[in-house]
Order: sequence, then C-alpha cells, then structure tokens
Amino acid sequence: MGKMVFHCDGDRCIECNACVTACKNENEVPWGINRRRVVTLNDGVPGEKSISVACMHCSDAPCVNVCPTNVIYHTEDGVVLHNKDGCIGCGYCFYACPFGAPQYPQEGNFGSRGKMDKCTFCAGGPEEANSAEEFNKYGRNRLAEGKLPLCAEMCSTKALIAGDADEIADIFRQRVVERGFDSGGYGFQQKFGQQSGGGPRAGQKL
Amino acid sequence: MLTKKRTNSAPPAPHMLNRLASAVGGAVDRRTFLRRSGIAAGGAALGAVLPVGSVRKAAAVETAPTAGGNIEMKRTVCTHCSVGCTVEAEVSNGVWIGQEPGYDSPFNLGAHCAKGASVREHAHGERRLKHPMKLEGGKWKRISWDEAVNEVGDRLMAIREKSGPDSVYWLGSAKHSNEQAYLFRKFAAMWGTNNVDHQARICHSTTVAGVANTWGYGAMTNSYNDIHNSKVIFLIGGNPAEAHPVSMQHVLRAKEKNKAHLIVADPRFTRTAARADEYLRFRPGTDVALIWGILWHVLENGWEDKDYIRRRVYGFDEIRKEVAKWTPDEVERVTGAPPEQLKRVAQMMASNKPGTLIWCMGGTQHSNGNNNTRAYCVLQLALGNMGVSGGGTNIFRGHDNVQGATDLGVLADTLPGYYGLAEGSWKHWARVWELDEEWLKSRFAEGMMNATGIPVSRWIDGVLEDKENLEQPNTVQGMVFWGHAPNSQTRLPEMKQAMEKLDTLVVIDPYPTVTAVLHDRTDGVYLLPAATQFETSGSVTASNRSLQWREKVVDPLFESKPDHTIMTLFARKFGFENELLKNIQVNGDEPLVEDITREFNKGMWTIGYTGQSPERLKDHMKHQHHFDKTTLRAVGGPLDGEYYGMPWPCWGTAEMRHPGSANLYDTSLPVAQGGMGFRARFGVEHEGVNLLAEDSYPEGSEIEDGYPEFTMAMLKKLGWDKDLTDEERQTIESIGGDSVNWKTDLSGGIQRVAIKHGCAPYGNAKARTVVWTFPDPVPLHREPLYTPRRDLVADYPTYEDKTFWRVPTLYKSIQENDFSKDFPIILTSGRLVEYEGGGDETRSNPWLAELQQEMFVEINQADANDNGIRDGADVWVHGPNGGKVRVKAMITDRVARGVAFMPFHFGGHFQGQSLRDKYPDGADPIVLGESSNTAQTYGYDSVTQMQETKATLCRIEAA
Amino acid sequence: MTLRRFLPMVLALVFLFGTLAPAAAQDVRPPGATAEAQQTEAGPPPGSAGQIIASPPDTMNYPYISGLWSDIVDGETGYVSIPDERAGRLIQTQGMEWLSWRNDELRRWSSYGVAAMLIALGGFFAVKGRIKVDSGLSGRLIQRFKPHEVIGHWVTAGSFLLLALTGIWLLYGRPLLLPVMGQDAYALSAEISKYMHNFGGFVFMAGLLYIFVMWVRHNIWDRYDWNWIRQAGGFLSKHSHPPADKFNFGQKTVFWMVVILGGLLSLSGLNLLMPFWFVDSIEAMQYAQIIHAALGMLMFAAILAHIYIGSVGMQAAFRAMSTGWVDLNWAREHHSVWVDKYLAGNNPERKGPKTPPPDEGHVEPKAAE
Repeated sequence: MGKMVFHCDGDRCIECNACVTACKNENEVPWGINRRRVVTLNDGVPGEKSISVACMHCSDAPCVNVCPTNVIYHTEDGVVLHNKDGCIGCGYCFYACPFGAPQYPQEGNFGSRGKMDKCTFCAGGPEEANSAEEFNKYGRNRLAEGKLPLCAEMCSTKALIAGDADEIADIFRQRVVERGFDSGGYGFQQKFGQQSGGGPRAGQKL
Repeated sequence: MLTKKRTNSAPPAPHMLNRLASAVGGAVDRRTFLRRSGIAAGGAALGAVLPVGSVRKAAAVETAPTAGGNIEMKRTVCTHCSVGCTVEAEVSNGVWIGQEPGYDSPFNLGAHCAKGASVREHAHGERRLKHPMKLEGGKWKRISWDEAVNEVGDRLMAIREKSGPDSVYWLGSAKHSNEQAYLFRKFAAMWGTNNVDHQARICHSTTVAGVANTWGYGAMTNSYNDIHNSKVIFLIGGNPAEAHPVSMQHVLRAKEKNKAHLIVADPRFTRTAARADEYLRFRPGTDVALIWGILWHVLENGWEDKDYIRRRVYGFDEIRKEVAKWTPDEVERVTGAPPEQLKRVAQMMASNKPGTLIWCMGGTQHSNGNNNTRAYCVLQLALGNMGVSGGGTNIFRGHDNVQGATDLGVLADTLPGYYGLAEGSWKHWARVWELDEEWLKSRFAEGMMNATGIPVSRWIDGVLEDKENLEQPNTVQGMVFWGHAPNSQTRLPEMKQAMEKLDTLVVIDPYPTVTAVLHDRTDGVYLLPAATQFETSGSVTASNRSLQWREKVVDPLFESKPDHTIMTLFARKFGFENELLKNIQVNGDEPLVEDITREFNKGMWTIGYTGQSPERLKDHMKHQHHFDKTTLRAVGGPLDGEYYGMPWPCWGTAEMRHPGSANLYDTSLPVAQGGMGFRARFGVEHEGVNLLAEDSYPEGSEIEDGYPEFTMAMLKKLGWDKDLTDEERQTIESIGGDSVNWKTDLSGGIQRVAIKHGCAPYGNAKARTVVWTFPDPVPLHREPLYTPRRDLVADYPTYEDKTFWRVPTLYKSIQENDFSKDFPIILTSGRLVEYEGGGDETRSNPWLAELQQEMFVEINQADANDNGIRDGADVWVHGPNGGKVRVKAMITDRVARGVAFMPFHFGGHFQGQSLRDKYPDGADPIVLGESSNTAQTYGYDSVTQMQETKATLCRIEAA
Repeated sequence: MTLRRFLPMVLALVFLFGTLAPAAAQDVRPPGATAEAQQTEAGPPPGSAGQIIASPPDTMNYPYISGLWSDIVDGETGYVSIPDERAGRLIQTQGMEWLSWRNDELRRWSSYGVAAMLIALGGFFAVKGRIKVDSGLSGRLIQRFKPHEVIGHWVTAGSFLLLALTGIWLLYGRPLLLPVMGQDAYALSAEISKYMHNFGGFVFMAGLLYIFVMWVRHNIWDRYDWNWIRQAGGFLSKHSHPPADKFNFGQKTVFWMVVILGGLLSLSGLNLLMPFWFVDSIEAMQYAQIIHAALGMLMFAAILAHIYIGSVGMQAAFRAMSTGWVDLNWAREHHSVWVDKYLAGNNPERKGPKTPPPDEGHVEPKAAE
C-alpha cells in the first residue's frame, strides 16, 4: 500500500506561482481561495528560499480527527479528501491543520464560513469520478484519469513533485546525491509525529 | 464515551460506500496508476531520464473514450515569454476545458510558470474587450465592425491626404504571430510609411544592434537547452526566475548536474540571485565598467583565449587599451563592486569553460545600452566562449514572439529579414510580393521611403514636437496601437498630452489597455477587439530562434477577429487588399495563414527563415518527443538530425531540408548541419586590417579560411556555379546576374551550392569588437542621463544632443543639470512573474491578478528610515520629469541603499487617481495600479532609441 | 432601563460589524458572480469510473516533509504575494495540542462537570426535597417582575439553552450522535445547529445586555448579603429565612455568573464567529475556542442549579418568572426587605391560590412533583 505525497525542493523553487495558477485553472478555484500558496523565507536576503505549500495529505491527519461531522477521510492512496455535503464550515480543521491548508469561502454576514475547500491532490471528492457534480464541488479528478496533480506536473523547475512516497523519495535522494548537498538539512525522511510529545515537530530528526 | 477517540477510521459517508460498490469495477489499481502517471516525467526531468511523454499520452488516449470521447487535444504555444512553452489544450465541443503539461516539448518539458499555467483563462475572457467601441462625447459606444473599419479608415485616410502617410503611426506587436507580424510590416509599407515599430524597440533593440554589429546576427546565439552544457553561467541584468521561470529549469539543471557556477550580476538581489553561487551587486547603469573590470583581471592574468582571438576576433587591441584603464580601484569607484569579488568571478569564468553569458533588459535599457551589449559580447569573445556548445550569449528575449516580430521587420529601420531601408531591399521585397516597385514608391511621401521611421519610444515626440524639428513632413496625428501597452513606455504624463493632441487614436487589442483610459479625450478613440493567439494559428519564434506552430484552440471570442483578418479589412478599406494579399488565399475576410508563411519563406534569405515551411513546422510540433532535450536534435524518426523548430538560419528552401542551426557560429559542425563562422557583414577589411576569419572555418568547408559573403560572381570565380540547376540559374539571371547574392537570390541556389561545399552563404569572418559605425566604436562607460554620481560626469559624460530617427534627442543638455539633490535615489524597474508587459492581459486574469494585487516600490531599509517611510505605507515616488506615482512601500534589502525598484506592469492609476470608471463597462482589469513609467524619465540609447528605464532618479516621500 | 436605551446599543453593535469589512487599500475589482463570460462552467469530461476506495490506509505515516521543512520552526513566517499575510506562516504546531484539548480534555471534563452537578442536585433533592412556603400560600399575589423583565429573562434563558444544546450537539455529536444518526442526518443536524448557534448568539447577547442593564442595580451587594451567606441562605435548616431585597445573595451570584461568563462567552464567541477580525494568530483562535467551549459548559452546569431551584427545587418560585406575580408569603420568606418596600409603596395586588401551611415533618414524595 503506497501513499501519495507532495514534495517541494527548496533548492529549486523560485516562487513562480505556476503551481498556484495551475491549481486555480484545473479546479476552477474561485477568487480568495488559495488551495496552494508559495511562501518565501528570508525574502530578499541571502538564504532566500521558497516553498510551495498545500494540504500535505498527512497520514495521521489532525483535520480527520477533529472534524465534528467526520467528513474528512483518506482514500486508498492516502489522499485526504472531504465530503462537502457534510461540511458545516466550523473551521476546526483549519485550527488543527499544521499547514494552514483548509480554506473557506466567506458566506453570509459576519464572515461566517462556507464549506471548507482544500487541495484534493487533484482527486476530486466522494462523488463519481469526473462527474459534473464532483467537478463543481472539488474540481478535476486527475487521479482517476491516471494523472498526477497539475500543480506538480506544471512546476517550472520541477521543484514540486507529487506521487507515490517511495518514488518521490528516490527522486529526491538522487537529486541530493547529484548536487552534492541537500536543500536544507537531511530532513527527507523526517516525520511529523504526535506520539512523542503532543505536537508535530519540524526539526525532529530520525 | 468521552475518553480519547483519536481514530481516523470512522466510517465515511454512507452514500460514498454505496457508490463504491459500483465504482470498484473501474478502479485503477495502484500499479497501473503509477505506470500511467507522469511521475517519472515530473520527477526525473532533470535527472538522467527525461520525460516519458509517450507514456502519458497513452494514458490520455486510454481515458478519453471513457471520459465521453469528444475531447480534442490542441497543441499551441504560450503567449507570454520567449521560452516557447508548449501548451496542451483540452477542448470539448469548442470549449477549452483544461490544460495538460506538454511533456513532449524540449523547451519546457511539461513545465509552466504562473502565466503559462493560466492561459486557459483567455477563453473565459471575462474582462476582454468584447466588441468594437468608440468614444463619443466622453462615453463608450458600441459599434459594428463595419462602422469601425469605415470610420477609422476614413479618419486615417483624411490624415494621410492632409499630412501625408507618415502622420499615421502603426504600432505593431510582439504578440503577433510571425505571419501577422510580416503582414503588418507589409501593410505599413503599403500604407506608405516607416513609422512602424513594436516592443522590441524598448526591449532588446540595443541587443540586436550591438550583437548583430559584432558578429552578424542579433539574436540569442545558443538556446535555453544548451545551457545544460555550460560550466559557468554569467547572468547580468536579468531575472529569469521571474521573467522566464521555465528557463530556470535549464539553468538549475546545469547548476546541479553539470556543477555549473551561477554568477548573477544585478543591482537587485533578485529571485534568480538567490539561487546564485556568486551574487555581484553593482550600481545601475555601470555595466560596461563592470564588464571591463572583469576583463581587466582576465587580461592582466593572461586568461584570455589568445588563439581564438587571433583566428576569430577583430580589433581586440583597441579593447585592451580601453580595458587597461579599468583598474580594480576605478571599477570599484564607478560600479561599487568589490575588487576581490571581480577577480574571483574572472577566475571562475576563465577556468570553467564553456561558459554562457545571459542578459536581459537590465543591460539593454540604458542610454548607452548598445555599449553594454557589445561589452558582454567582447567578454565572451575574449574567453573564447562564442560558437561553442555551452557558451554563447544567451539573450533571453521578452515576449513570446518578439524575436519573430523583429525578424519580420516590424521596425522603423528594416524590412522583413533585416533588409535595411534601401533601394535594393525594396526591390527584393517587390520581387517577392510580385509588385511594381514604382507603385510601392508612390505610396510613400517624397524621399521618405528609405528614411528610418520614428521609434515607438519616441512616438510622443512625433506628436508633440513642432513639425519643423521633425525629419518628416508633418507631425503624427493618427496612432494605431495594434497590440501594445502604452504604460511600458516612459514619460506617461507627456504621453497623455500626446494622446490628447492626436486626431485619431485606435486600439486593436484583446483588452482595452491603458491606452483607452490614460487620456482625457472625449472623441476620436476607437477600440477594436483582436483575438488572442489561442483563437488563431500561425508560427511563433522562441528566443532561441526556433519556430513553433500554434494550432487554433478555440474560435475567436465575442466579436473579436484575428489580427490578419483585421489587416485585410483595413487593406480593403484603403484600397490595397489585392496588392497586400496578391499571393495569399483569402477565405472570406481571413487570409490563409499558411500562405503567408510560404510568402515570407520566399524572401527571408538573410537570416534563413526560408526553410521553415508550414508543413515542416507542423511536423516538428507533431514529433516533439523525437528531439533530444539538450541538443534539440531529432534522434531517428522522420526528422532525424533536424533541430527542434529549425532555429534560424535554416538555409535554403524547405526542400533542401536544412536542419536549422542550434548554436550560431559553431565551427565544429558542417554548415549543412547547422555550423557556421561569424558573418562577413562588414566588408573584407577595415583600414587595411583583415576582417575575415583566419584558420577558422566550419567543419568540412572546402574553403579553409575566411571568405566574404556569396554572390553569383563569387560562385563563378570558384567554379561552383556549375552546381546550380537550370531553374536556379534562370532565376538568378532574371534578378540581376553576377550582382545577385545569397540574400537576393529567390531560388536559393547560391545558398544551396555554398552549403554543398561546406560554406556558409553569409561568408566567414571575424567578430568585430570595434564597431566603427557607432558613436562609441569601442564600448565606453557613460554615466546615465540622470545620475546621482555628479563626480563621475566629467570623466564619463554622456553624448552630445543630436537628431536621429527623425526626432531631436537630448543627452548632454539633460545630464548637465544636477537632479541628484532633489532626487537622490536611483530608480530601476523590472518584471513580476505573474504579469507581463503593460499587464492589461495578465491583470485581467483572476488567477494571476489575485497573486499581485498592489503596485509597490521596493525601498532599502536605510532609505525608508531616512525618509520616514514604513513598510506597507503609501508613498509618492516623484520622478525628475515631473511625474509622480502613489504606491505601497515594500521595505527590503533586496535593493541596495540608494536604489529603489518598481515593477512596470501596473496601469489604470495616474498620479494618485484611479481611472477604473473610464474603462468600457466590464472590460476593466481586475487589478489596477500606478504605472512605474509615469515617474520614469527621458533618456534614449545612442543607436537604437531604447528608453533608459533601468537607471534614473527619484524621490520617495510618505503619502 | 427600557428598550429605548437598549436599542441604540444594538444598532451600534450591528453598525460596528456591518462596517468592519477591511477597506480596500488597493484597487481590485475581483471577478463577480455575474461575470459575463462566454464559457462559464467548463465541465469536466463526464464519468470515468472512480478509483477512490473509501477506507483509510492502515499505515500511520506522517506527512513527508523534507529539505527546507526541517529548518522551519513553528510560527516562522515568510513572504506571500497574496494579501492574506497569515498564509505566510508555514507551520503551526499548537493545532495538535488544541486538537487533543478539544477532542479529549474538553469532552471529558465537561461531561464530568455536568454529571457532577446533576448528581449534586439529585442528592440535594433526595435529602432536602422540595422547599415549601413555610407559612402556606397567602392567596395574595404581588408583582415581583414586570412583563419586560420576564421577557428579558426568557429571551436570555431561552437563547442560552439553545446555545448550550447546539454547542453540546457539536461537541459530542461525533462520538455520540453520528454513529446513531448516520452521517448525512447528523451532518444536517450539525449544520442547523451551527446556524442556530451562530445566530442564537446574537439573541443571547442582546438578552444579556438587557438583563444586565435592567437588574444590575438590584444586584449590587448590600448589607443583607453577609447575613444571608452566614445562614447559607437558609438552605441548611428549616424555617430559616434570612432577609433579602429584590435579589438575595444566591440570585445575585447567579446574576453575576451569567453576566461574567455570558460576557466572556459572547466575546470569545464573536471572535470565533468572525475569524481573525479581532486577533491575528491562529493560536488566539484556538484559545478562544477552548475557552468558549469550557466556559459554555461551566455555565451550563451552573445554570442547571439555577433551573433546579427555580422549578423543581422550590415551591412557588417558578411563578416569579412565569407570570411575574408571586405569593406574598413566599416573597416574605425569601425577599422580606423587598416585600416591605413593595407594600409600603402601595403597589398592586392580585388574588391567587391559598393553601394552609404544610405539616411539620411531612416530606413529599419526590415523584409527586
């Protein structure tokens, strides 16, 4: 059993935002909803690095655990999807998510939230694959067509890659070997755990 | 019940389970899935294995039928930058429903930047100009195409009658396809004026002039892909990470796989600089000093390639003399670059070869821009990096077809194919067009046929100057913006006046552009909706000189029409439709695009645009996956040995099947396979010194030395004329016998025979480092017109004022004034990845506009604190010409102390006021903002009239 | 205090929220719903078979993070070009902690609290039974609360109960209700609950403000309170009735509890309702959620006692909030000072039921009430 992952190579990403617009394009994501974003650290100074972030499709996903109506689930590929029909827009998944992935359209007065929207790994939702209903709610289901998420497929420098965890690991390992240095610490196999002490740890080495 | 329940295995929605039962049959099992997916492609693209395009294609074929069966894949090319990324469009029932990565393309390998990934929005077109409109009594009024063509036509003809053809300015576009660009130039010729130009003027005109005058052709010498072979990448005045993001794929590949050193020289610490091994900061406008500073170390240590210089370079001793003046101390005084770093860079470049040198507008947009570009060339020549794979001057052009539009002569000083404005050139094109030369002459005002026109950078002076000061009969009174944003040119306050003074202002564009709103006119403005390149077909030339063919994706939206159709309508109105389209089939109002290609194939001998027939171009698009991703050469298959897109020169006729030339001036290959020496463009000797190559010739050449360009007489002398076919000989004789040369021989026979003997038709010469026809034969540093360094003005003054390109042009009389007290900060400008050019198109695209919603100015922390400016606050940026812009302050160390930067894509605000209400309803871009060029100043290159936007002055105040 | 003075406050509140939308610093006209696009809904190719298997993976890996991620510390914020500056934050780790608080601690301790209160009240009732009017009902009714007071009370009380119920529905729904109701039905109920909670909140806040203004002067501590406290309100012994004004100390305590907890609930609730309007960090949102839920449950438990004493726990007490008219004898026993003032003021009286004093030592069967 594999697991679908995204990986963004900090040494390649140039903040071109192709992933962001590819996502908007493929899934007709409305203005104001950013399923994917590119964050630049040390902007404008040496050490500047950019990284593209969206839902990381965690295996032990906090959003799955917190959802009051239990509509967030894993697919067989380890993709975290949700059923918008059951979403009540409470915002809890956003509070729980370490990566700020869930997005909400503003509906009604007082900024009250509409149904949560997030990266689907281009795998649509619970509806029939590539049905009009699925497309309108979640966007394209590329996985069902045997294609990978468009953001990664269109990445200008191939910084963002997506696919089976083992293959992604191999590709990145090969890159690190070739270039002779890692983009920022030997963190590839790093895990994000809650067993040993409550919160996820970025920086914890295995 | 209330104890911890941290499970994620709670049952999912019941209806999902139900659905599951029916879905299992069609489920894709993991193994199949991974095999089909593009993962190998996406991941390993920079690794040893290159994209497995065919694997993906199979998947598409497999899923399409189950997906309903009516999906068509259309292959076209992104319309934003010059990389030439293939766009795979999914079309269903005439609706563009999706974009797929074009893994087959050797240029982008599936990749896109933000702009390329969003081109499908063109087919939504929410903010497009939807129908012809005219401004009447200050209100936009919808009119029909007939009315539009008639009214505009009548007004322009009235101007022509009253003031002569030169009083109408035809401003073309780098957004046109090659066919449209060619037709546009032809159209302007038949209107009878050389007042025709396009974006290349303000983008790379100094490159084209500088580079062409150094070694023959004014274009990128190698290719994006060839960067893979570089050991050093020296990037100056360019920010490909934002302007050409997909090119960074190739740059990073060289860096990672080839261990290439990436050196970025730029006043601004760009996104590209952040990826560099060496970042070299210097003061804007001191490129020549910086390059001479590096060359000083090279020469001082004897690191230059002496043998190469002997064989292939003319005038290097004069360079030595000039460079000797640029000691490390002097370089530091002028540029601010530390001596030890320059030495390190020089050593790095000298000890790692081949190295490529890349520049963009940071180098070109200066009053001495032609000096900059020539200095870069000299550095590459000194290191022997020219004409080798992994070397070259890789000039990244800006727009998708700015190379093509330049090649096809949408310029005030050339005809298609760089045939200069001279009688011979007109004769040549009259032959191609099968027209009477006398008729052509009759279209022009007396003596204006061979007079260089007004460049786009100066059209406003053509309107505002007194006609006595202009070298043309009358002022400009009619202005046609045919695919050009006004806000990419400097001096907008004056442009506003010029627009208001015009009799007629016409915009032909998919978007209203800032031209629709900048002025306060109430009448005489027409907006005609043009279709985008996704709504028509045609060829486009990427920066590396490769031509690609665009398929039409969807029908023109709303009432828009393709540009060549609009040209036909106007030609009909003006009464020269038959002449314009004599050999071109016209279907209804639309000329057959392929016929236009075939026509320019017949005449573009100078630069080898003759072999790229529509059929060959389409074949190349179809077999993209056959081409090697580094050499661009087809491996096997029907196109075996050809270079992708047949980068020009693709000599001879299409039947000759020349493969194109991937790397210019590469002598390691026979001419028949894309090899050549430098072009013998400047004669055989100058002041008694030989200009032809010595001991250097392309592989397999039967003349093992330099030689001049081929003429019929020369063929006869060599005894090679017997190789001509009867037909070829007949054509040559009918044109002019012995005087016919490789450029004017419509049969292509001279080229064919020369190549048969291993010779380049254009000769084999040395590159010249001294351009004796230019104001500065040896490139000199000259301080910008608006310089903060008054102490350097005496040592490095600018030029004397002069009149050229029909307009008086100021240099010294501006530099004399000290603006630096009131305007102490250097102002430079550049691109953002999300937007392009004037930005009307990209700011109207919600997917892009959302990412950059506010115009800003980058200010160094120290300057901000000195002026009491806080991050995110509104500020006024004042320019010394009186323009000012109200923008948001972004405080960053990206710019050095004393330097400010603004992106130039914004428009729709003017000196603090929003012009949103002035747009036609529903066609206002999503994001508006101040144009940096409102504050940008006077200043033009001494050869090409390139505007000086990269080094001027400003004052920044809190708003 | 009347409606006239209350209304402007409500209006001011509405106005405040209505105009708080961020002023556009930049000139953007985003694409509208009425966009005139030639090709609107670009539909996907219709149905190829789905491949989603609706069961979670059995492996429990964590997200693959790599390269740069390992250098990023919690809260590190970078540059993003979109206007949402918070999007520049790459990692927030408190969410996991918040998750365990919300899912585990909150559910557990809240249920303990409510259970403890129910047990205490049950025990009290078992021991003490229903508190009778010692001297029997007099048949004379005096007006303890005017209609607007009664309405104010019930608006607040009703909305609170609605909020409590819907809040509990969301807090405990997933473990308790969802398995029973099925996901679709529960999700629908939860969505309705959310809307009732969101809008009910404003009713509660209005009621709260109203009762505060109306009753605050009666709830200032006075000289009778100390005595009342010493006698433990008379709850521990029979026939002991410490004097009190309109509200005795017990009622005052309820009042201030409601005002303070209700106020805090309102503030934290508004913060949750309008995410990031008042606070900038996600942590503040998480705290707000935990505080809101915990206080809500605390107040719910406390209100249970109030409900008990106003209904089952004490004879004749409920009348005070149903009609507003109470028996003179009941009033004498519990609010003697107020009664004296009332009678001295020549205020109106009505006739009511009359009963003899209950027998000494008689304990009513619990079930009879």
